[in-house]
Amino acid sequence: MMNQPMPFDHRRDPVLGAVLRQALDRGEEAAFVARVLARADEARATAAPWAAVLARWARTGIAAAIVIALAAGYLVGRIATGPAGRASVTEALIAPRTQAPVVDVVLASVLER
Amino acid sequence: MAVDPQPPASVARISPQDEAALVARAVAGDRAAFGLLVERYAGVARRVARAVLGDPDDADDAAQDGLLSALVKLEQYDSRRPFGPWLLRIVANAATDRRRRRKVRRAEPLDPALVAGGPRPDTTAERRELSEQLRQALAELPERRRIAVVLFDVEGYAHAEIAHILGIPEGTVRSEVFHARRRLRVLLADWKEEER
Repeated sequence: MMNQPMPFDHRRDPVLGAVLRQALDRGEEAAFVARVLARADEARATAAPWAAVLARWARTGIAAAIVIALAAGYLVGRIATGPAGRASVTEALIAPRTQAPVVDVVLASVLER
Repeated sequence: MAVDPQPPASVARISPQDEAALVARAVAGDRAAFGLLVERYAGVARRVARAVLGDPDDADDAAQDGLLSALVKLEQYDSRRPFGPWLLRIVANAATDRRRRRKVRRAEPLDPALVAGGPRPDTTAERRELSEQLRQALAELPERRRIAVVLFDVEGYAHAEIAHILGIPEGTVRSEVFHARRRLRVLLADWKEEER
């Protein structure tokens, strides 16, 4: 009979290891390695077109975003820096600032009455 | 028929520095480097997967899943730690996931007479018979126990490394290996008795 194992023996059991290895080994290791590498290549090949598509989409998206941002900036800038529009009657009469009231505004207010 | 104990698998391992360099090359897209890693770990990955799943085809599929999953996660590998346990944890998880997803046919329960030291099969394919008996005995062990004893006695990993692979305390690994051995050695002892 074999010796009983010591509890929590820290040494390998080479005999048990060898028979277990034999029981679990299937062989044909080269074929298995080739299969795994082929799958890895397939995964790369199928991933690459998607990456390219996404990259194209990204380039198009970035260009579109730049155009939209420029257009929006231009419009906002025009609104902000463009003519202030006609001053209201109240503004023209009550808050004349340094300039004299605009004549047509004053006339319009008189005519409306 | 004698059993030739094989040298510890640790002898065949490459240095951690070399492995880290191979991993770095593989991350950079070097197919040959990944190929070397696969060659190095294919055997242990398949054996661990088979210890979990039993069925050799399922085991190969799981080992492959694990290796490819490791390739995807390679950038997450901490090169200061040993590569083998990191990889085998992924492989063991892949095998466990596969076992859960697919209702793998359970091995037939081992004949109690066999475990208790019944008559030894008198066929000419004794070694094959012993392997079959060991596979059946393994299949009856809890999964963690199976993996622990295979990693320890077959692959030569230390308890601490196995603890990392299985995500359990080192003391639990020692206990699992002990209980697995006690079970498997009954078979082996009987077989050796008959050899004399």
